[in-house]
This record gives sequence, C-alpha cells and structure tokens, in this order.
Amino acid sequence: MSVSTPTEERPATRAVLEETRTGGALMAASGSLASTVVPIVAIMLLWEVAVRLSHVPPAILPPLSDIFAAIWDMAYTGTLWGDIAATLGRLVESAVTGMIIGTVIGVLMGYFRLWERALVSPMNFLLAIPGTALFPLSMIWFGLSDLAIVSILIYEVALTVMLNTWTGVKTVDLSLVRAGRAFGVSGFALFYRVLIPAALPSIITGYRQAFSRAWRILVVAEMLVSVSAGLGYRIYWAREYFNTDVVFGSLFVVGIVGLLIERVFLRTLEVMTVERWGVMRSLS
Amino acid sequence: MGELRVENLSKSYQRKDGWNTIRTLRVFDNVSFAVREGEFVSIIGPSGCGKSTLLNLSAGLDPVTGGFVYVDGEQISGPGLDRGVVFQEFALFPWLTVIGNIEFGLKSKGIPAAERRKIAQRYTNLVGLSGFEKYHAYRLSGGMRQRVGIARALAIDPSVLLMDEPFGALDAQTRESMQKALADIWQTTKKTVLFITHDIREAVYLSDRVLVMNGRPANIALEIAINLARPRNRHDVEFQEYEQQLERAIAAPAS
Repeated sequence: MSVSTPTEERPATRAVLEETRTGGALMAASGSLASTVVPIVAIMLLWEVAVRLSHVPPAILPPLSDIFAAIWDMAYTGTLWGDIAATLGRLVESAVTGMIIGTVIGVLMGYFRLWERALVSPMNFLLAIPGTALFPLSMIWFGLSDLAIVSILIYEVALTVMLNTWTGVKTVDLSLVRAGRAFGVSGFALFYRVLIPAALPSIITGYRQAFSRAWRILVVAEMLVSVSAGLGYRIYWAREYFNTDVVFGSLFVVGIVGLLIERVFLRTLEVMTVERWGVMRSLS
Repeated sequence: MGELRVENLSKSYQRKDGWNTIRTLRVFDNVSFAVREGEFVSIIGPSGCGKSTLLNLSAGLDPVTGGFVYVDGEQISGPGLDRGVVFQEFALFPWLTVIGNIEFGLKSKGIPAAERRKIAQRYTNLVGLSGFEKYHAYRLSGGMRQRVGIARALAIDPSVLLMDEPFGALDAQTRESMQKALADIWQTTKKTVLFITHDIREAVYLSDRVLVMNGRPANIALEIAINLARPRNRHDVEFQEYEQQLERAIAAPAS
C-alpha cells in the first residue's frame, strides 16, 4: 500500500559525505593532534630551560620538572586523589541540586505569566550580585563548613540555569506547543513531552555555563572557607609553606580537571542530545 | 465513523484600539457546514478570510466565540485524538526521529511501545518514507517533512483529518507530487478530510466538494461539488471550468 516514494527528495548530506571521505580519517586526526601537542611541548621545554638557565628561585617559579615531581608526589601519597574527589564531590552535589531547582523554576517562569512577572525582577537583581560576594554571609550562616561552599554554588548554578531555561521555554516555537496539544498532550505532560525537550538547547547551554561558573567559584571558595581537602584548599595551604611547586601542580590539576569536565562530559552531553536533532546553532 | 459538523460557528477577537476603545474584530459569523463520512472537502478563500481560524476552532486549539463543532455527533470542547491535524509549518518535533514523530499521538493514546512501533511503521510505509525512520526532521526536505506530518496525523486513526494549508510552504513541483501522494493516501484510507488552501487548482484536484469563504465577516459564499473521475487531470477542460468558476467566486465581493 506504499504511495509514490519521494525519489526527487533525498537528504542533502549524502553527496557531501562522499566528498569529504577522501581526506583519510587517520591522517586528519593525527594532524589535529600534532597541532595541539607540539605547541604545548614547546612551551613546556621553554619553561624548563628558561628557569634552569636564569636561576630564578624555585619559590618564585619552579622548573617544570619540579612541578611534575610535586604532582607525582601528591598522587603517590594519595592527597591528590582525596583533593580531586572532595572538589568534584562538592561540584556534583551542588550542580545537581542547582540544576534541578533552576530548571523547575525556569520552566514555570517560561510558561506561566504569573511566575514570570513575579520572579524576573528578583532574578535580574540577584544575577547582578556575584556569587563570591555572598561568602561572608554564607560563612556567618553556616560557619567554616562544606555547606558554606555548597550553598553558594547551588545559588549560582540555580540562577544561571533558571535564566537560560526561562528564555528557552519562552522562545519555544508555539506551533510545537499547538502540535503537542493537538496530539493529546495537556497539563503536566506538556512540560516533559514538549516544552522541556523543545527548550533543551538553551537549557543545556545553561548547564554548561553553570558548570564553568561553579568550577571557578568552587576553587576560590575552598581557599576562603578552610575545609579539610580540595584543590583550592591545597593551593592556598601550599602558599602558606611556600611550596610553590605544589601551588603550580595543583593549578595544573585544576586546569586539567576543568577541561575534562567541559570537553568530555558537557560536550558529550550536548552532542548526544542537541546536535543530533540539528537544532543547535553550533556553540563552540 | 467520521463526520464533522460545524454549526453557527462565530469567531471574533477583541483588540485594544487607543486607550479607551476596544474594537471587536469579527472574523466570521454563523458559519455552518458539514463534511460527510469519507468525504474530502476543501475550504478556499483569500488570505485573511479566516479559513485557517476555522480549522483551528475545529481542532479545538482556539476557543470559539459562538457556535459548535461536532465530530460524529459529539460536541468538541478542546483538542482531541478524534481529529488528526496537519500543520502548514509542519510542526514536527525536532528532538524526535521520523518514527518518533509518527508515534507521538499513539503515545498519548497509551498504546504500548511495541504496538506503537508497529502502527507507526505501517504509516511510515504508507506515506512512502520507509528507510527514513531514524532520520531527524532537519535532514528531510520540505515535502518529506510534510509526509511525516500526514503520517503523524493518520497514525492516531482519527475520525477526521484536518489539514491547514499543508502544502503552502512547499515549492510548486513538490506541491504537485504531494497532492498526488495525498490523493493516493486518501483513496487507501478513506478518511474524512477538511482541507484548507488558497490554491484553487489544489482544491479542484483533491476535493469532492469545495467551499468558498469570502466577505468580512466571512461566510460560505459558494459551495461546489467536483464531479470528476479520479485520478484527475489538471489539463482537462472540465477541470479548468471548475477552476474558473471558483476563481470568479473568490474575486466577487460577498453579498
């Protein structure tokens, strides 16, 4: 019972695919790897040689080999893993909480005019206050505890996610909502079957932003609020003892972990969801 | 089953005009007509005459100002799965694949997943999209997208198919091939169809009956039964006579 197949209409991607095949995937991959690795190795060599030749005191700028030795040492004794686990634990705990709060409130604001009117001004006001400025307050309330850090992170993540979710839901193509209603979706189901998936590109952008903000604040927070472990804590206390190699080593670890979160975790999330639907304006 | 009856339907909008005046914009007043079971009825009229509004009211997507819409004798009070809607702008869900889109309404019906997949597959084949099940909408051409739209509406096995200028966004060639595809689909499924268009040829090609909407507030100015054998030939003399007749009706100001 098949009806005239649309032979005149083929997806445009096929022709393009065949043209790009000739390059050779392996060559392309190794080429891009080389262009990333070579400059990094060059900078590292330059650092090592310059420091060794100029006799800068290691307390000011340690040679790279000392820094790697310090990282190795931290990894060997286990403090490194404890610090990473502590920092990531705080990040995940607060990011998940903040994302849930932000998404729920953002969706309500995007769909219901009353919620929007009530919350837009407070949201904009709070967005103008840097999360870090609230640390004295959170320390008064919660003392020098994990909660003092986590509460600020939740606040920051929730606000960022709320903003992006709100604008995302607000700009959902109305015809999709109509189609959803026409095909039997109403009430609460409208949120999870139409509005949230339709707004997911901006919601995920919000998650990404929230994560990188939270990461920045978190490392600073661990310096301000003296807790027992964490990458920020390690950097701060290494300074007290002039262990500059540990300061640098921990900074490298902060950079690497942050990069992994951004590039591996969040980027994968984005590719798996949004880009597959072709609704993404390529972000990076 | 599959009868659509519209009785004394009226629609007006309130618009604020200046600081103390509310102007009432009457789109149409007391429109009545019926689409019999298995019948293909088109409504044509100049743009802005309210024909799409009429379809939205029948779909239950907009509130009526007055009058009633009945499907199989039951008065409608909102959107429902007894009507399948095909939108001009396709309105496919970009996060779902072709088959996911076609399954959407079946999921609302509470049909279990395996059964859903089976039904959706049948309608994917019916509209000629087998092989494209896993594609997301953005990889499809306009014509293929609307095929998904038609399959999505048919899959819920509605009493009435409501089509709002479904080919209005397509180029001329694709439009003709889609008209043929729709004529074939209609022959196989025997659905009751209310079809909105501003394209006279399209209306004559597809319909059993054509209603012309005109005037302000609009009303049904003319009703013509198209007594031509199917499949129809756009170059027939009789076909062209129908076209001219409808053209005159649209151009003439309503009494």
